[in-house]
Amino acid sequence: MHGSTSASGAPTEGTADRGHRWRQLHRIAPLLLLVLGVVAIFGSRGLGLGELTAPGPGLWPFIVSLLLTGTTAVLVLLDPAEDYEPWTRGTVRIMAGLVSLGVFILLFQTFGFVVSAFLMLVLWLKVFGGESWRWTLGLAVGGTAVMYLLFVELLGVPFPDGLVDAVIGG
Amino acid sequence: MDSWSGIVTGFSVALTPTNLLYVFFGVLIGTVIGVLPGLGPTATIALLLPITYTVEPVTAVILLAGIYYGSMYGGTITSVLLRLPGEAASVVTTFDGYQMAKQGRAGPALGIAAVGSYIGGTVSVIGMILLAPPLAQLAVSFGPPEYVALTVLGILLVTYLGTGSVLKSMSMAALGLLLATIGLDPITGTARFTFGEVALFNGLDFVAVAMGLFGVGEILHSLERTDKVQAVTSKIKGIWPTRKDFRDSSGAIGRGSLLGFAIGVLPGGGGVVSSLASYAMEKRRAKDPSRFGKGAIEGVAGPETANNASSTSAFIPLLTLGIPPNVVLALIFGALLVQDITPGPQLIEQEPEIFWGVIASMVIGNLMLLALNIPLVGFFVQMLRVRAGILAAFALLVTMAGVFSVNNNVFDMWVVLGFGVIGWLMKKTGFEPGPLVLAFVLGSILERAFRQSMLLSGGSFDIFVTRPISGGMFAFMALIIIVSAITSRRRKAVFGRVDPADVDETDETSPDADRQVAAEGSPGADSTTDEPSGSTSTTPGER
Repeated sequence: MHGSTSASGAPTEGTADRGHRWRQLHRIAPLLLLVLGVVAIFGSRGLGLGELTAPGPGLWPFIVSLLLTGTTAVLVLLDPAEDYEPWTRGTVRIMAGLVSLGVFILLFQTFGFVVSAFLMLVLWLKVFGGESWRWTLGLAVGGTAVMYLLFVELLGVPFPDGLVDAVIGG
Repeated sequence: MDSWSGIVTGFSVALTPTNLLYVFFGVLIGTVIGVLPGLGPTATIALLLPITYTVEPVTAVILLAGIYYGSMYGGTITSVLLRLPGEAASVVTTFDGYQMAKQGRAGPALGIAAVGSYIGGTVSVIGMILLAPPLAQLAVSFGPPEYVALTVLGILLVTYLGTGSVLKSMSMAALGLLLATIGLDPITGTARFTFGEVALFNGLDFVAVAMGLFGVGEILHSLERTDKVQAVTSKIKGIWPTRKDFRDSSGAIGRGSLLGFAIGVLPGGGGVVSSLASYAMEKRRAKDPSRFGKGAIEGVAGPETANNASSTSAFIPLLTLGIPPNVVLALIFGALLVQDITPGPQLIEQEPEIFWGVIASMVIGNLMLLALNIPLVGFFVQMLRVRAGILAAFALLVTMAGVFSVNNNVFDMWVVLGFGVIGWLMKKTGFEPGPLVLAFVLGSILERAFRQSMLLSGGSFDIFVTRPISGGMFAFMALIIIVSAITSRRRKAVFGRVDPADVDETDETSPDADRQVAAEGSPGADSTTDEPSGSTSTTPGER
């Protein structure tokens, strides 16, 4: 598939054609860090710097955020774009995957481990892994069971009470 | 305790059934993940951190160490057979190993790599037994200023020896130090950057941060690349190298052992740097350098020996000074901290069973790896049949369940997810997660040492330069900064020589293939972060 070349080899080739847009866009990352650094500087001043002889709680964070601000300020100006990877179609899938992980955590909180783990495995195996339904369902059922045994029975992890526990317990 | 009785203690610890089982698990998991592209030792160790809570500290380190050096063996297999480095330190092995495989000599290539790794690992263990105790004794006299110097040195070297931009690494280190300040101030008890969130009062959980950045971040990043891995169907014959093979590679193995040991001890050293250095050295020494890249056995034996030697000796600074020299060791350091053990000069005296137990387990683990690798190569190759999607799905589920199990807290799951996003974005934008995690781990030590130094000196910075040891270390740092500024061009030239562009390709591949291999190395490479292999991957483009 061509995707692998464009994902890994393109930073050097892609920048040539689409240079201009990139050169401006890539500054966002150091810029965000710069903002974070500046916010942290003020935050640590608010904590109280104290004196060098008697450092306050804010002194160390202050020094560190100065370092962050300094390095990122230079990066905003000087950062060469060559080590940036281009956004590909795969990127959209990753974002969807991230959302699904968030949903997993919410489901986990409300329905417990078994239901959410099963749904997550189905989604990831079928949609992101491109497995057949037979493999997906087999692995999801088996995987959930093994994980449940491993974490709950073997390691005794108290997962939130969920549907299955309610059914068994009830 | 002298070394001899230490070794006896060590073996009595390492030979208990539990520890034997865990060292076996460690090297087995290590080999497997070394084979699997996309899941490097850093990601795996991050994912398995929660498990380490349930076992004794020494057992935890034995397991994690086994994974680390086990992955050095495993990475060789795919490098030789498929030209696909399973982890960063094996990128170099693709140059000659794959050529040997094409000439029908995959067996000897894998065999000499396993034997070399074993010798390298053993030499390193011996070096560790000799060097570690005196180093720890020296370090006992260290005060706060020395610790400031040491931690700063560790962070500095990791930022300097990484890939790409030093400035980017430095900003990540600063971010790591800043993140480490979240929570209650250890001295005054003031809440810092907690935004009123009670869950943050104890700071961000190290395990959650590491699992997010390395575990989830790696998985997401590797998922985006849709590599196809072809199955290996041909049978691998004649693994045990011939006498001629041994004769040809004995020099390379010897030099690789010493070089790997030396590089591993240095902060920022580790597998990748040492294997590249060894390859460059062998090529320079060879009577006929043109053989390199065409299946020279020294080109496999040297680097493979060196990367294993360095992954063992990297434990010396951790266990004697309390300074993790690279990111994998930072994770192991974190695992010990969580168990309320702070590695440092007192470790050998206070927790001899940890220090000597780990050393003894390395002797056993390397033997196990030799025994596993020679007969079972065919089995490990079958691991490649596991599809990336399946691996990712299960790894993520284990991560999420695992991080919950640490504190039984859903908040940590969100932290993992958050740092997973950050880790993936960092990969996309060329920021390395390594310096961040290392700085995050060292942050609280550094802050405490800094504040104590200030109290000691009455607010004067002179204390850092007037004391001989810390002054010496700061001088050393200044030297590094100056020297690296001067030699940065030269370093590029060295890596340019190692570049696979001179690999003679006649069939099947386009000119693009070299670049692709080098680039494919780097995602795995990122997982160890101490890699200059990124330089390898960028060099072809720069020409």
